[in-house]
Amino acid sequence: MSIFDFEDYKINRRTLLKTSAAVGASTLLYPAMSAFAKSDDPIKIGQIDPQTGTYAALGGNQIAGARLAVDQINAKGGVMGRPLQLLVEDSAANVGQSVQKARKLVNRDKVHFLMGAVSSSVALAVSQAAQDMNTIYMDIGGHADAVTGDKCSWNTFRTCSTTWLLTAGDFQAIFDKYGKRWYFITPDYSFGHALHHDYLTQLKKAGGTEAGNALAPLGTTDFSSYLIKAKSANPDALIVLGAGDDMINTLKQATQFGLNKSMGVGGPMMELEVLQSLPDAARYGMWNMEWYWDQPNVPHVADFVDAYRKANGGKTPTARSWFGFASAHALALATEKAKSLDAQKVAKALEGLELPPEVALQPNKAIYRAGDHQLIGSEYPGTIKSGGKYPDLFQVTDVVDSSKIARSVEEKGCRITYPS
Amino acid sequence: MNATTIQDKTSTLGGSRAGMSSVDLPRLAAALVIWALLLSAPFWLPLVGGYTVLGTRVLIFALVTLGLNLLLGFTGGLSFGHAAYFGLGAYGTGLMLKFVTASTPLAILVGVLVGGLAATLLGPITVRRKGIYFAMITIAIGQMFYFIAVRWNSLTGGEDGLTGFARTNVHFGGWTLDLHNPTNFYYFTLFFFAIGCFVVWMVLRSPLGHTFVAIRENPKRLRFLGLPIGVYIWIAFAISGFVAALAGSLYALLNNFTSPEDMNWILSGDFVIICVLGGMRTFWGPLVGSVIYVVVQDYLSSITVNWMSFIGAIFVLSVLFFPWGLLGFFQGRFKK
Repeated sequence: MSIFDFEDYKINRRTLLKTSAAVGASTLLYPAMSAFAKSDDPIKIGQIDPQTGTYAALGGNQIAGARLAVDQINAKGGVMGRPLQLLVEDSAANVGQSVQKARKLVNRDKVHFLMGAVSSSVALAVSQAAQDMNTIYMDIGGHADAVTGDKCSWNTFRTCSTTWLLTAGDFQAIFDKYGKRWYFITPDYSFGHALHHDYLTQLKKAGGTEAGNALAPLGTTDFSSYLIKAKSANPDALIVLGAGDDMINTLKQATQFGLNKSMGVGGPMMELEVLQSLPDAARYGMWNMEWYWDQPNVPHVADFVDAYRKANGGKTPTARSWFGFASAHALALATEKAKSLDAQKVAKALEGLELPPEVALQPNKAIYRAGDHQLIGSEYPGTIKSGGKYPDLFQVTDVVDSSKIARSVEEKGCRITYPS
Repeated sequence: MNATTIQDKTSTLGGSRAGMSSVDLPRLAAALVIWALLLSAPFWLPLVGGYTVLGTRVLIFALVTLGLNLLLGFTGGLSFGHAAYFGLGAYGTGLMLKFVTASTPLAILVGVLVGGLAATLLGPITVRRKGIYFAMITIAIGQMFYFIAVRWNSLTGGEDGLTGFARTNVHFGGWTLDLHNPTNFYYFTLFFFAIGCFVVWMVLRSPLGHTFVAIRENPKRLRFLGLPIGVYIWIAFAISGFVAALAGSLYALLNNFTSPEDMNWILSGDFVIICVLGGMRTFWGPLVGSVIYVVVQDYLSSITVNWMSFIGAIFVLSVLFFPWGLLGFFQGRFKK
């Protein structure tokens, strides 16, 4: 009774019908897949970002920002006279899946550039895979120092801040206001470890002490055991290092435990997505942002906010939206400057590239540093507005010029060598 | 395809080879067609919208599920922990390449030994239980390895996964095989897939394989006949562990990367789904299931983030209408 016992195998009308229906259905799938290929020879960017899972909201905004940039670029005639095309793949913030998608985008879809990532683990892994495939990779939103530090590579650039910049942005403010005994809640992967390490370095230098450090796996939903430990350690400040849904869950539960009554709460990275999802009672503390939509004195910001709201049903752009927006523009600008799609030539063009004001959207200069491929721009430390209404939830107290707080390329341990 | 013969022979334990000796041209023809398709895949895949790396992924998933199916389909042991041996193979190979040697074959050997020996050593614990308890204990052991990989940051890279290694070229005397070329790596994988197929096929047509099937069909009767059933299930478990480790090792080389997800019980579940989809009583079922699973995942995940619901729907429909998988279904129809 093997399927291939052909002597008993008779094609009858019904089998024929079924088979042809199946074949017909399968051919239907293909045009949908390759519809894009019909336009004349577009320049393709493959974006790998989480659309599901803990970081879905953050990834979604990075994609929306990139889409807006691509639309703007195409409206102005594309890149080198060719249309720019964005191919989006879901990473689910899962490292294995992201590497697989990176290879698929390059091997099957023949994209010229890769970009994306919210999770630092994904950024590190895709950076390496892209290097294997001799492709430029723009890390949009994975922050760990190593991406442009000791694991930097010629093909990888980064738009969002390093973990060092995030922590240096508001360290002094938190230290001065809350005190010097800190308790950390750290997501247990490269991003969390890097943030913890960077804060601790500064804390020790300033004469503070660590009251404890709880490592929580990515995607933890119940933080009570960590919060109980934090409460019994009785620190001056509770430092929350998570992002996305992790951050939301930590703050909601910290509020239920009343921790914010007995200690200061803060951290290196607050995002509008998180603030929007928090109940009013859980909105407090001192934080750092990487970009903020409300910058009345900076030209072009209001235009960007309007254009983004129009394209996204009234949603206000977040730092993530700006990362995606700036990254897509940077790739297009560098390609135009290099007059080539050759990965090494574009990489050289990206080195030292200064974002024009309508892309940079900040008071300070934003430049991809040549030595480590890190964008050096601004940090926006501040406090949460209590009783604020979306999107007006954050009060920026200071705009820090990142070039003043960034560590040098040598300190970060990055050496970029191009393959011959 | 041996399955059929074996199935018919379940009552004659350790049976005569009468079934095999009858010339089985159609089955031979089918095998030839399958091998011809696999050998020519890099040439026809681009024509139907695929790409070579996709073919390599199919082979790797087919290899691990082929191994699992020896236990699941032929011996009747539902293991939900085979990703652990797959992942151990991957980590063994990755760590060898990263810290010890630049030799790809040596790294594969170590990966296979690590994963295979782990299965061999842990087998006796699992085979003491049957049915749902067997499944539970395989999950538990699998998750143990998963959490070791997550927590042992300094060695495995924790949740970040293991990076910093890459497959190297293979040298035979003066001749070099350039493994960076995806097509060459496809054939490299196909070579190991063929070895895996040969091993499983040889086992299935031997008295040992017939005993496996007999255990699935009627363990009580075998026990009355005085057979140490546990030992036989253990052997099936160990062989399938070695095959899974080989596949995992190739998977690490394919991506130049491995992460704890390669050990997670979710992946183990995917392996079981592949076997069931393709037909777990058939030799080629895992290959058919892998083609469906990998291709559907690849295409649908570009179109919708809810691709998993489609896999789920396909799985449910398949269990409802083809309880013996696609191959089993066709076999059943055409046999009559």
